[in-house]
Amino acid sequence: MIRNYIKIAFRSLKKQPFFTLINTLGLAIGMAGGLLIALYIYEELNHDNMFADADRIYRIETDIKFGGAEIKSAEAAPPMAGTLQTDFAEVENTVRFRTLGSNLLRSSDKTANIKELSTTYVDSTFFNMFGLELINGNTETALKETNTLVMTRTAAENHFGSVDVVGKSLLLNNKETYMVTGVMEDLPKNSFLGDYSIFMAMAGNVASRENIWGGNNYYTFVKLAPETRMDNFQLQLDGLLEKYVLPWAKKTFPGMTADSFAASGNYIKFHTIPLTDIHLYSDNQNEMGETGTIQNVYILSFIGFFLIFLACVNFMNLSTAHSLKRSKEVGIRKTLGSNRLQLIVQFLTESGLVAFASMIIAIVIAFIALPFFNDLAGRNISIPFTEPLFYVAILLITILLGLFSGSYPAFVISRFIPVDTLKGNGMKNSSKWNIRSMLVVFQFGVAVFLIVGTLVVFQQLEFIQNKDLGFDKEQVLVINDTYAAGKQLNVFKQDVLNLSAVKSATLSSFMPTPSSRSNSSYFRESAMDQEYAIQMQTWEVDDDYLNTLSLELIAGRDFNSQSAADSTAVIINESTLATLGLSAEEALGIRITEEVERENPEFYHVIGVIKDFHYESLRENIGSLGLFMKRSTGSMAIKLKTDDFASVIASIESIWIKRVPGQPFNYRFMDDAFETSYKEERRLGSIFIVFTSLSIFIACLGLFGLAAFNAQNRIKEIGVRKVLGASVSQITYGLTTDFLKLVAIATIIALPFGWYFMNIWLEDFSYRIQIGWEIMSFSAILVISIAIITVSYQSIKAALANPIKSLRTE
Amino acid sequence: MIKITNLEKYYKTEEVQTIALNKLSFEVKQGEFAAIMGPSGCGKSTLLNILGLLDDPDGGSYLFNGIEVAGYNERKRAQLRKHNIGFVFQSFNLIDELSVFENVELPLIYTGVKPAERKERVHAVLEKMQIMHRRKHFPQQLSGGQQQRVAVARAVVNNPKLILADEPTGNLDSSNGNEVMDLLTELNEAGTTIIMVTHSEHDAKFSHRIIRMLDGQKVTENVLV
Ligand SMILES: Nc1ncnc2c1ncn2[C@@H]1O[C@H](COP(=O)(O)OP(=O)(O)OP(=O)(O)O)[C@@H](O)[C@H]1O
Ligand SMILES: [Mg+2]
Repeated sequence: MIRNYIKIAFRSLKKQPFFTLINTLGLAIGMAGGLLIALYIYEELNHDNMFADADRIYRIETDIKFGGAEIKSAEAAPPMAGTLQTDFAEVENTVRFRTLGSNLLRSSDKTANIKELSTTYVDSTFFNMFGLELINGNTETALKETNTLVMTRTAAENHFGSVDVVGKSLLLNNKETYMVTGVMEDLPKNSFLGDYSIFMAMAGNVASRENIWGGNNYYTFVKLAPETRMDNFQLQLDGLLEKYVLPWAKKTFPGMTADSFAASGNYIKFHTIPLTDIHLYSDNQNEMGETGTIQNVYILSFIGFFLIFLACVNFMNLSTAHSLKRSKEVGIRKTLGSNRLQLIVQFLTESGLVAFASMIIAIVIAFIALPFFNDLAGRNISIPFTEPLFYVAILLITILLGLFSGSYPAFVISRFIPVDTLKGNGMKNSSKWNIRSMLVVFQFGVAVFLIVGTLVVFQQLEFIQNKDLGFDKEQVLVINDTYAAGKQLNVFKQDVLNLSAVKSATLSSFMPTPSSRSNSSYFRESAMDQEYAIQMQTWEVDDDYLNTLSLELIAGRDFNSQSAADSTAVIINESTLATLGLSAEEALGIRITEEVERENPEFYHVIGVIKDFHYESLRENIGSLGLFMKRSTGSMAIKLKTDDFASVIASIESIWIKRVPGQPFNYRFMDDAFETSYKEERRLGSIFIVFTSLSIFIACLGLFGLAAFNAQNRIKEIGVRKVLGASVSQITYGLTTDFLKLVAIATIIALPFGWYFMNIWLEDFSYRIQIGWEIMSFSAILVISIAIITVSYQSIKAALANPIKSLRTE
Repeated sequence: MIKITNLEKYYKTEEVQTIALNKLSFEVKQGEFAAIMGPSGCGKSTLLNILGLLDDPDGGSYLFNGIEVAGYNERKRAQLRKHNIGFVFQSFNLIDELSVFENVELPLIYTGVKPAERKERVHAVLEKMQIMHRRKHFPQQLSGGQQQRVAVARAVVNNPKLILADEPTGNLDSSNGNEVMDLLTELNEAGTTIIMVTHSEHDAKFSHRIIRMLDGQKVTENVLV
């Protein structure tokens, strides 16, 4: 029986190759896109899930308001972990990370350093906590002693060319010698440790053992006993304030009580976030690794869902359109005694076959497209070919999609009444045309929506790129890790300045590209009280900073390195001015200090005011900022006066190699660094473009097929019209406008939706575009033009056909 | 009005070449009612298509109102056709999606007649064909005879000088068939030239002259009047 159904299904699909091709192709493309997105979302949702007991691991976070500063930190104070371990029965294990960012490392027998981008101190409980194994070394002892470290396979191979390196030594930043006590596999890319390659024993970090509840520099994870009640745990966390933090604080601030602490509006709150939530839900600035957002997961689910849905709609539309041609077959079958159920099964078998073929093609497409997709999404996804569950899921989805897309056509076709169809009267077209029309409207509505989305994302990116940031990021080369040059740095700078292509150069660790920096509290001499604290960033720069970055002074003067008095000078930005409530002229000369509690505080006097510039992402408002003339050697920014970047970089590098042999030469252009900070948006933009194109393609494939069937169904009518004197253009126009009306309706419905949802997306940016009529009209014109092109081929073909032929064919 | 000389038409399929019209010549005068008869496949419909400017002959001459139209391109033929010729088919060829009124209105739309005048003229012709009361119906809701009357109405609404009818009664019973023949006779009496293909000797008797064909050639001509 089933074999019979399949045989007949095969035959009828083969009889209509055009129809079968369009259906299969559309469905396959939709499925391939859907599959990639599903894998992406699966990875995002299962971030950090691979660790043992991941569901019982939490991170302790700290929200503090104290001394005017308000901080939301992903980190905790050094004694937190130990306290939890000893005081809380439900805490099974704890581990702390003290991240160090990038460091230069070399094996002791080599002279060239390799830069490891993510290094961290970690407690020796590390392995036990996350269920990690070592390829070489012993997890029990590996990170117990000071100056020992564990490295990943890749790092070991980079430094030593082998993983069998336990007992070998490494030099950190040309200074400290570390012994390798373990090598582990690279950590999973979709985990918070994915970037980390070097883990050093916490024992070497002296501050980690100090009983200071003030600073928060330690990412602290706890593993709780199964079935721990989180509300109870939270209550206990709240108790820490009274028990430990305030007693400690009293030592520094005598006379402070819990009441006086709270009365001045201060607070310290500890709370937990599940390990597996960090990636998508944490919005802390200082995360250990790159995080995603649940918003992007939603956006992508939406796109993936609609992609598949569009493809199914295609199938439904084409099948029902096609069914008109099969009405006679159905009529005959029915007259011969076939019942409705058998007919439905027959048609579902056909859609099932198409779905199955599509899925196989889809997997092939997805496999080929995967590297591009990974590039696009910035992820490292693979198709789980070895997972049996994958095949079960694929099979279920195929059956489901087959049933779903076959259901409506099967229902329509099986409803045909034999008398009508055999008489050749066809169906009363109107009612069915309505559902088909709605489906077309829906498809193009989604396409319009996605076009609006794409345009808005790109226009916003464009806006960000071209916005006047208040400083000049063009032609500025930034050399990183210049501290490695040590005493040679001044000579290096002088040599660089001697190059004719270099205009100026400045040394500072603070560059106006987004990074996590924090505020400090400053006080005006005339208002030395906590409640008048000004939150301001402290940037240490030199006297070349303003001119190298073309920052604009609106009052006062630049630093002068010859003047001893300028070592206590500060240049503030307009935002600080606003917080102070002063005009630029009034601000000049006022004195500020950080040391409000001290007997003889060190004051800084304001010598200049600069225009606000965007040193953070445009998602943020510009905060208060103070520039201080202090030596800070993290990086050097060099303003070039040439476009021949390659040769000037080569010159600078050769100076570097001469002056600072053996240290890596790391440079970036400032505008590139700026770009990087919009990586997520850029990704979203590219993803939007790709999937928008796909959905438009699928929708057009459907429209093309539909237009073909429409022309075929109306071939007699077209013939009659031509005989009666209709011109080719009149007929083309008639056939095309039928569809264009639908596309126009879709556009009108979808534009407001696009406007609404993209405005929600834009709300994330403090500085954003207005969605103007240009985007709206461009989307409309684009989609309508595409529809015209798609439909007109079939329409013109039908209109050009000789009417005699069509009138004969009855 | 119509004069064809040595008209030729070939159909090439993959293997064979069919000679549908073989050096056919005859003339039809203004106001005449001519019937064309002959066995199936002898080329009657082919001839009518050429006379109706739907198709182009492969050889010979076709003078329409004294103008040589053989070799006219599609656009010129369409122009001439829509102002001068009306068609009636065996299978009516009404458009299912359009009402009776809209079907009849079509030729007027294509010749650019203004809506108000269109309505007037369609109503007039529907009145004349006695199907005014059915003007809002759709073709499927009409009997065969009624459908053919709509088709005739559509053919004459533009006041064509020539009506070409290909077996207009072929799908009708005899009483409905006679009604249609009466209509055609009336139109002819009002001055319209009519060329009709038919298999029925009965219908042929309504005409003035019968042209008999065989294998794409004229065999005889019987003048009845
Ligand atoms: N489009 C075509 N392609 C090939 N051969 C054709 C085509 N149209 C007609 N013919 C052939 O030309 C010949 C004349 O056909 P035509 O339709 O004119 O015959 P007819 O006299 O109208 O027949 P009937 O009385 O059955 O309608 C036939 O042999 C037919 O097979
Ligand atoms: Mg014929």
